[in-house]
Amino acid sequence: MTPRVLLVDDSLTVRMDLTETLRAAGFEVVACGTLGEAREALARGGLALAILDVLLPDGDGVELLREIKAAAGAPMPVMMLSTEAEVRDRVRGLRTGADDYAGKPYDRAWVVSRALDLTRGAGSQPPGARPTILVIDDSATVREELRQMLEAQGYGVLTAETGEEGLHLAADRRPAAVIVDGVLPGIDGAAVVRRMRSDSALRRTPVLLLTASSGAATEVSALDSGADAYLRKDAGSAVVLARLGALLRSAGATADSGAAPLDAAKRILAVDDSQTYLQELARQLRDDGYDVVLAHSGEEALQLLDVQPVDCVLLDLLMPGLSGHETCRAIKARPAWRDIPLLMLTALDESEAMIEGINSGADDYITKSADFEVLRARLRAQLRRRQFEDENRKIREELGRREREAVETRAARDLAAARATLLAELEAKNKELESFTHSVSHDLRAPLRAVDGFCAALEEDCGAKLDEAGRRYLVRIRSAVVRMGRLIDDLLAFSRVGRQELLIAGVDMTALVNSVWLELREQHARRNVVFEVGNLPRVGGDPSLLRQAVENLLSNALKYSRGRDPARISFAGKEEGEEALFEVRDNGVGFDPKYTHKLFGVFQRLHRADEFEGTGVGLALVKRIVERHGGRVGAEGRPGEGASFRFSLPKGDPT
Amino acid sequence: MNGDPIEILLVEDNPDDADLTIRTLKKHNLNNPLHHARDGEEALAILHGAEGSGVPPGPLPKLVILDLKLPKVDGFEVLRAIRAHPRTRLLPVVVMTSSREEQDLVRSYELGTNSYVVKPIEFGEFAHAVAQLGMYWIIRNASVR
Repeated sequence: MTPRVLLVDDSLTVRMDLTETLRAAGFEVVACGTLGEAREALARGGLALAILDVLLPDGDGVELLREIKAAAGAPMPVMMLSTEAEVRDRVRGLRTGADDYAGKPYDRAWVVSRALDLTRGAGSQPPGARPTILVIDDSATVREELRQMLEAQGYGVLTAETGEEGLHLAADRRPAAVIVDGVLPGIDGAAVVRRMRSDSALRRTPVLLLTASSGAATEVSALDSGADAYLRKDAGSAVVLARLGALLRSAGATADSGAAPLDAAKRILAVDDSQTYLQELARQLRDDGYDVVLAHSGEEALQLLDVQPVDCVLLDLLMPGLSGHETCRAIKARPAWRDIPLLMLTALDESEAMIEGINSGADDYITKSADFEVLRARLRAQLRRRQFEDENRKIREELGRREREAVETRAARDLAAARATLLAELEAKNKELESFTHSVSHDLRAPLRAVDGFCAALEEDCGAKLDEAGRRYLVRIRSAVVRMGRLIDDLLAFSRVGRQELLIAGVDMTALVNSVWLELREQHARRNVVFEVGNLPRVGGDPSLLRQAVENLLSNALKYSRGRDPARISFAGKEEGEEALFEVRDNGVGFDPKYTHKLFGVFQRLHRADEFEGTGVGLALVKRIVERHGGRVGAEGRPGEGASFRFSLPKGDPT
Repeated sequence: MNGDPIEILLVEDNPDDADLTIRTLKKHNLNNPLHHARDGEEALAILHGAEGSGVPPGPLPKLVILDLKLPKVDGFEVLRAIRAHPRTRLLPVVVMTSSREEQDLVRSYELGTNSYVVKPIEFGEFAHAVAQLGMYWIIRNASVR
């Protein structure tokens, strides 16, 4: 799709000139002489860019800029176009949101390159398109070879026979990279690279320079010209493709980094009260490829710096209003501007003035009478210094970043190691605790057996000598022994669940629940119990442990519903996602919900021993069994309204 | 040891358990001569003769009641030695222990015990178990002499 540009200028000459230039660059142009016409064109839509003059017969271009930027949707890019003399307009335009600002007299090539930049991504180059490579070589054979090789790799290929043709195509088509022969008729490869590097639109395009010979000298001169890489012509297609791939990658990386590239167009702010000198300076510098912004006074310079960052300031010493020294001090006093190289220009060739200039913070000092070449050289030196500083800062930041990363990595590693050690220790401690629990409860049984045994012996052998109270005491002792025996058994079971390895198999829960129920039912044969079991999902689990859990839940339900006639107990289940969910419900005495959190704790009991017997291990054991299977437990209840216990298990058969 | 040949060899290091076992057997009229060995070494000396002492082994008992946790030579070792020796290969052995551990049970059967009884804490059950095993192995069971 051809990008359409709205051009608004009251001068017919400018309209004709820019229309022609932009059309040649592949744009469609809608030219208007007044704000009114421009608004109509805008209302019709379909525009990718606006180039606006500020002074128009029926109003102010900045006003239109404001309207465009205030419109709904993604704002259209706008380039302002106005006479260089009106710094106020430039400041106003940039503050209102102009994307760029071209001073009249404008540089056609610059306007085109900015227009291309601003409309890129507006449909002219769809993202994800295959990269296009421009091949510049005078040999038809080489061109054809490279074309076939690149197209086979999925690149788009443009070819040019001469340097001039190549540059034209590059400006027009914006290739992703350029491969250029070093030796060409007319301008040679190094010159092509230099021209590209001084063109703000092509500056960042990677260039691969092909040379006939190799050697350090060739490399230096190739890279000196600004090429990103050089290759001998006979290097072979694999090498060419590899280098090209690397260049495209690094170009992509620079573009993605978001930071302004160090080799971007250098913008220079020139400040002088003499319009003549200013215009001459601008012309000379623009010829060198600089982007030049002009200001006629110190005040204007400060205003401009506020809205537009620059890479260097050229400052006249003697000016009405703020003097050069005062302007210099004001610039150097602002942290954001402090590092911008500042060259002081003066008509005077006095060491005193020079010293004063340097003292006010200027980085260099040049007399206006000096040859323009000197100014150029000093300017380059200052920009180089600035560039080195930027690069150094980048390197320092990069080093700092890497160091931080290294420290973070080390910290993360240390943390992981410490965590692993702690985990191992915890596991060891757990094992120790388990085996301690086991042996303690084991060893407790023997003396308990002796207590009960000798109580029995006492009763049998010496019962006649004991009175009623003595015999009652013996009964109390023996029932305490039975309770303690149960506690120990439960504790043993509990510790066994923690240690024992799970033997996972597919378990038919319906069958398991029914079989447990039959056993329990026998022990409570005299009670009136209504038991309902649903169609339960199959689960993957350790059958003997699951049997234990089901038994504990059902005997709990039986125990706490024993005052009911009939007692109602149900066991329901369903599948949900990867889990099987179960619920055991009874209509027993229930519990106070504020103690729910205590229900599953070891030795936690919510009922007095004389109401309901128990050790307080049963539900803790259920929880442990379910959690070892990766499931969860929960409970709900109200005093007198029964209780419901839920648990989840992995559904289905183990794979 | 009196002159009568031993019919029951009780290998048990806990004197309480030993006394209660002996008492229970007597209560049930199982007055067969019984020897109480307090560790595994003593038990093996009776069955196989003391090592290096030249003391010959006595006549074989009808039954060995064997605890697992024993000083010096433990119950498993005793069981293994009994089954390894041609003289005692077929001797009835009942393991009687506090351990409910699956692995102890499995290992005992692997080593060739004839029975495995967990000592109940409650004396009533304990006495019942001892009486049953005594009756069975001393009176009912016919073993290879």
